[in-house]
Amino acid sequence: MGSFAIETRSLSKTFVTKRGFWRRKTKSTLAVEDISFNVNQGELFGILGPNGAGKTTTVKMLSTLLLPTSGSISILGLDILKNTLEIRKRIGFTFGGARGLYGRLSARDNLRYFAELYGLAPEITRKRIVELLEMVGLTGREEDRVETFSSGMQQRLHLARALLHNPELIFLDEPTVGIDPVGARELRAAIKTLIARGKTILLTTHYMAEAEELCDRIAIVNKGNIVAMDTPSSLKVRIGRETVIEVDVDQQNLESLKIQLVKLDHLSKVEYSAEKLINRISIHTSEPENILRLLGPFLQAKSIQGLEVRNQTMEDVYVAIIQGEKK
Amino acid sequence: MILDQLRLVSRQVNVQLRMRTFNWYTVALFFLQPAVFSAVGMILSRAAGNQAPDLVYTVIGGGIMGMWSGLVFSSTYDIRSDRREGTLELIVGSPTSLRKVEAIRTFSNVMAGLVSLLAAFLAAVFIFKYPLQQVNVPGVLISLILLLFGLWSLGVFLANFLVWSRLSGSLVDFLELPVAVLCGFMYPIQILPNWMQGISAIFPIRWALQAMQASLQGSEINGIIWQKWGLALAISLVFWSISLWLDRKVHNMIRLTGELSSI
Amino acid sequence: MIKSVIRIVRLYFFQAWFSYRALFAWSTPFNYFASKMGFPFFSMLMFIFMGKYVGLNDPIYIVIGNILLLPSLNGVSGMSMTIGGEKQFGALSYLLGSPAPRAPLFMGRAFFHILDGFITVLVALPLAILIFHLDMSQTNFLLVGFCILLISVTATGMGFIMGTVTLVSRDGWMITSTLQIAFYVVIGVNFPVDLLPPVLRAFSSSLPMTRGIQAARLALAGAGWSEIAPLVLGEILIGAIYILIGYATFRFTERASMKSGMLDNL
Ligand SMILES: Nc1ncnc2c1ncn2[C@@H]1O[C@H](COP(=O)(O)OP(=O)(O)O)[C@@H](O)[C@H]1O
Ligand SMILES: [Mg+2]
Repeated sequence: MGSFAIETRSLSKTFVTKRGFWRRKTKSTLAVEDISFNVNQGELFGILGPNGAGKTTTVKMLSTLLLPTSGSISILGLDILKNTLEIRKRIGFTFGGARGLYGRLSARDNLRYFAELYGLAPEITRKRIVELLEMVGLTGREEDRVETFSSGMQQRLHLARALLHNPELIFLDEPTVGIDPVGARELRAAIKTLIARGKTILLTTHYMAEAEELCDRIAIVNKGNIVAMDTPSSLKVRIGRETVIEVDVDQQNLESLKIQLVKLDHLSKVEYSAEKLINRISIHTSEPENILRLLGPFLQAKSIQGLEVRNQTMEDVYVAIIQGEKK
Repeated sequence: MILDQLRLVSRQVNVQLRMRTFNWYTVALFFLQPAVFSAVGMILSRAAGNQAPDLVYTVIGGGIMGMWSGLVFSSTYDIRSDRREGTLELIVGSPTSLRKVEAIRTFSNVMAGLVSLLAAFLAAVFIFKYPLQQVNVPGVLISLILLLFGLWSLGVFLANFLVWSRLSGSLVDFLELPVAVLCGFMYPIQILPNWMQGISAIFPIRWALQAMQASLQGSEINGIIWQKWGLALAISLVFWSISLWLDRKVHNMIRLTGELSSI
Repeated sequence: MIKSVIRIVRLYFFQAWFSYRALFAWSTPFNYFASKMGFPFFSMLMFIFMGKYVGLNDPIYIVIGNILLLPSLNGVSGMSMTIGGEKQFGALSYLLGSPAPRAPLFMGRAFFHILDGFITVLVALPLAILIFHLDMSQTNFLLVGFCILLISVTATGMGFIMGTVTLVSRDGWMITSTLQIAFYVVIGVNFPVDLLPPVLRAFSSSLPMTRGIQAARLALAGAGWSEIAPLVLGEILIGAIYILIGYATFRFTERASMKSGMLDNL
């Protein structure tokens, strides 16, 4: 094994659920179909995808909580099946949402409890708890019951819990799900600190901007497959340096505009959508000036209700890839 | 090394106790239900025209009942609340094995059940004037230790089913009363039809209990008692080894099904 | 007129089915039977063997008593959870805010519990004939059926009260579960209530089901209407009182809560 922190090959997971009692019906869900990727030491690797894409399932397999149906995983050079215990000692993980803490215990007691499960000596535990609460910004709240915490505070406490035993590799499954923008920003700041300290992090999210801000590399997953994997900037380049023009137009002019659009070249994508009597046309193009020229007469006749011209964002890339996948 | 283990134990018990706010169910199971069963036993005894009820079975038996019901309830409660809170998965993912955590918790639940037995014993002695001088104290103590060990082994065994899945966990609830019926808590085991006695032979607590009941009634430590102690110990150990094997199975099973994350 | 009657009837059944389903979201038929019949069956076995040990060789008294206790599981615990549980599910504020007529709404909750309790006994009796050789050759079936239905109804009266208590105080269900256990002693399930100490006997005669269970026992053994009439009338009276108190406390709680917003704070 090389120096990869995570190495997976053709990973797949099928869940078999049984329903009914007298007549058992089995239903299988292919949650992860065929995923292979490597994560370098010290890298912040993002898995980005819509709900149900298989992100959590992937993270659980990597963190020894689920057994893959097929494929191989090696974590820190160790085999997931043979060295489960050793891996557990060296990784940390959090799963999004409010679950995973004892609500009736204080923040400090929660951390103490898990420190015990990770076999930390009491002196070390005491020091670590102070440091970690400081780092996630919960100093002063250590004696409060966790059930009184906001979801942002709980997420940060999750992070502190995952870091107790100073793991080399950290899995964060949707760390900012369900928390307000300020809380999310604080959490992202904490994640950046970790990377600065040389940790390897695998993070999942369905927020485009988050992945773009944090990650060195992103794997976009959909329906259990990686549909694209690269650095944020190359992902953008891959779609080309295009401009997006969004035009809102009324019903009468829609048809004539459509006819004229068809005649143009260099349009990589044209989409129509209708909402409350307004028809929106989204045009991705490398030659925006042609479109704007075409729109001139319409603008003069005041039949354009809205017009937006902007550079392509990661969001567009993401949507493009996921939609391309659907077709 | 041993100090580390002790710390793990104390931390576990600490969390366990504090997760359970004062819980009426526990009170009902430890004291109320035993008292009601004892009352039924006494009045039935009067209905049958007996002078005085048999305190070993009606009163102390109620305490045993409380211990057992309390153990089943608190062990299932612990695992269910961990499942609900999502912490079960985190425990599984930690380097400390779930088996160890469950063993510690079950042990503390077994010890907590002693409250029920103690209450019943005090009631028998002070309210109903159970004649203490006849009791074979060493016999009772050894039987009690084996009874606790048997309860512990059964508790750990059943915990596996609770971890496995919610469906198999619900079976544990339904085992509570049948085991109580089979093991002769509130009447001598000989009352049962033979086939039931046969089934009850697989429960270590039945043997420890029989030895304890005999010692309470003043039996000396003879070959028969030794035999029951031996069986209680041996069967407990069998349950422990099955649990060890089952634990490995269940650990793999839950990682295949993803059962842990379902609420 | 007809329209509003139809509306009330529809409301009644909708309420009934909905609240029944919400409470007993059984995942499997196994779960249903195990908790409906399993627990009562094994506690009955326990009592039978306890009786056998002290010298009561005929288990029939205990068997009949425990079967007749079955409707109380629905009537008292089930009802109490149905009403008290509203709060947990947060459905109560919708309900209280709705302009629906109160009486059918209220009674609707009881319907399926009564039916379920009644049917459970009907299923259990043949089993008792099979397993314990219950002798029903003398039985006055119509009267027995009536008594069972009566017990199922009066038990819900108590359930109403307990449910309302549960609505107001977090700890109401403690009393309910305590009562459910106490039934083994105080309503003549395992032995005649005459054997109880005086205080408990007085308590037992103020409870629903005590007389109904005794009447059903007599009818099972072949008694006619004239013999059990006093018991049945007494049961009807007690049951009516409980239902009325239950309804009154529910309405009272409802009004009080509207004034103070109390239920939301709980
Ligand atoms: N324990 C499970 N049993 C059955 N199906 C599951 C289980 N866990 C996840 N799934 C299914 O697998 C798919 C992927 O889920 P998940 O990995 O949670 O997606 P994501 O985290 O990307 O939202 C979904 O269709 C989900 O329903
Ligand atoms: Mg997820």
